[in-house]
Amino acid sequence: MNTKTIPLERKDVEKTTSLPLRPSSLVAVVVLGVLALVPALVSDSFFIHSLIMILFFAYMSTAWNFVCGYVGQLSLGHTMFSGAGGYCSVLLFTQLGVSPWIGMIFGGFLAAFLSVLIGLPTFRLKGPYFTLTMIACAEILRIWVENTNDFYGIPLKGAEGLVVPSMGDDVWAFQFTSKIPYFYIILIMLAVAIFATRLMERSKLGYCLKAIRGDRDAAEALGINPTRYTTLAFAISAFMTALGGSFYAQFFRYINPERNMGLELSIDMAVMSIIGGQGTVLGPLLGAAILVPIAEAARGTLGGSFLGLHLVIYGLALIACVLYFPKGVIHPLGRFFSRLFGLKETRG
Amino acid sequence: MTPILELANVSKRFGGIQAVKDASFSVGQGEILGLIGPNGAGKTTAFNMIAGFFKPDTGTIRLEGKDIAGKKPWEICEAGIGRTFQLSKPFGDLTVVENLMVGGFARNRDRRVNREKAEEMSAFLGMAAKRNIEANNLTAFDRRKLELGRALCTEPKLLLMDEVVAGATPSEAGEMVELVLKVRARGISILIVEHVMKVIMSLSDRVVVLDYGEMIASGPPKEVVSQPAVLKAYFGERYVQSRA
Repeated sequence: MNTKTIPLERKDVEKTTSLPLRPSSLVAVVVLGVLALVPALVSDSFFIHSLIMILFFAYMSTAWNFVCGYVGQLSLGHTMFSGAGGYCSVLLFTQLGVSPWIGMIFGGFLAAFLSVLIGLPTFRLKGPYFTLTMIACAEILRIWVENTNDFYGIPLKGAEGLVVPSMGDDVWAFQFTSKIPYFYIILIMLAVAIFATRLMERSKLGYCLKAIRGDRDAAEALGINPTRYTTLAFAISAFMTALGGSFYAQFFRYINPERNMGLELSIDMAVMSIIGGQGTVLGPLLGAAILVPIAEAARGTLGGSFLGLHLVIYGLALIACVLYFPKGVIHPLGRFFSRLFGLKETRG
Repeated sequence: MTPILELANVSKRFGGIQAVKDASFSVGQGEILGLIGPNGAGKTTAFNMIAGFFKPDTGTIRLEGKDIAGKKPWEICEAGIGRTFQLSKPFGDLTVVENLMVGGFARNRDRRVNREKAEEMSAFLGMAAKRNIEANNLTAFDRRKLELGRALCTEPKLLLMDEVVAGATPSEAGEMVELVLKVRARGISILIVEHVMKVIMSLSDRVVVLDYGEMIASGPPKEVVSQPAVLKAYFGERYVQSRA
């Protein structure tokens, strides 16, 4: 009997899918679409609150990823932008009666201005030097606000923080008695941030940032002025972060330096991106969806006895991630799903 | 006809070392000029001054008559000079096509146009089958070719190539020579720094020899390599004496 094995001809069956969108965009649309339906199905307010927190962190992390993930710089000072944005919108509202909707745009521009001021000299720094400088800048701002009660007539109220006076249900004042409007606001903000990231990734800016991440000298030789593109992306990222800071202040109707400018929020933004997959459109959303519930659960069950336990869990998750999924959880997950649906592997 | 690139009395000093001293040479339209010299002769310094990575202390560098000395690398690229690096610097986590597209964005913002151009370029480089491979996974020689292609995507008038066949096998070196000639056939002038004499001899229309930062000879490759000053620079005084 002829036992000669015939090598199996491996036909590369590349299913040419005629999807209207690329798979990653499709995932984004489906996830955000399903989320939009949640308030109609679930009325438990703790659940909605938790979802808002996930979406908030996903949004902040997406804003962080917009520059840091694509250009490969680890900023642990992004909270200076959320702080600037939050304080700007709250103060404009309490002092001048400006609607927080307009105030948050002002806050965004303030943060963008701040980012240009800080980014121009610091974005030349590489690796740990950049990270340390960003931490220093954010901490300077936090400590200054914490110790300043009054700045030329602007009542910053130091460490005490600012309370946004309650106005009841008032759309103009960005205040609602139910959590559901906040849910939709942050959902829309996240959708816009994801869309902006997607747009950026496919534009000249995205390619320039990835080139700078790959090799700065080579990027320069290809006509890319690194300062120009990193500053631009940094400013957009700061703008988005500031809007998130304003949302946070309106949602809790309270803002203080520690929560809104502290290092912890900066670490959250970075770690979620890194674990989810930095430099990808959906990585930050995935990272937030993994980490926020873990942190909430840890805080809920062990909060009283082990303060800061969620940070230990972050640490462990980060170690596991760096060891097993150095590019973020989204890459193995993406491969798994593309195999499952027989799609041609796509990136990001 | 005005030369595409003209260096006049260009000097560069690093502390106590005179890296390039009063160098004056030019590259003609459509010419392949070889820049040679022993290690430390100042070839790469001269190269980096043209590419905008160093600012010359004195002298002028003109591209089609316009002074470009001291401009930034991205302005030099914009002006129409592409370059490759001695150690190739691919964008590791981007695919071949994406790497090439980065070059294309220097001239055009449209992603689709750039993708098409990049696909064409990958075929030109003989890398069409590898176009969706991440640059990290390429062989050293493919990375070199990719870098050449990336520079070509910026649509340069003049291409600066630094040690294109370093570490390549003889057959790869042959392929690279072919490729460089194909680039010239597209109407691009080339300035090439190279150690491998065989490559320089077969490619260059003319060579310029630098030694201790000074230009010691220039002319057609065959003539230049037999000049005593050049032999002295490469092999030392005694070699020249023993031949005489």
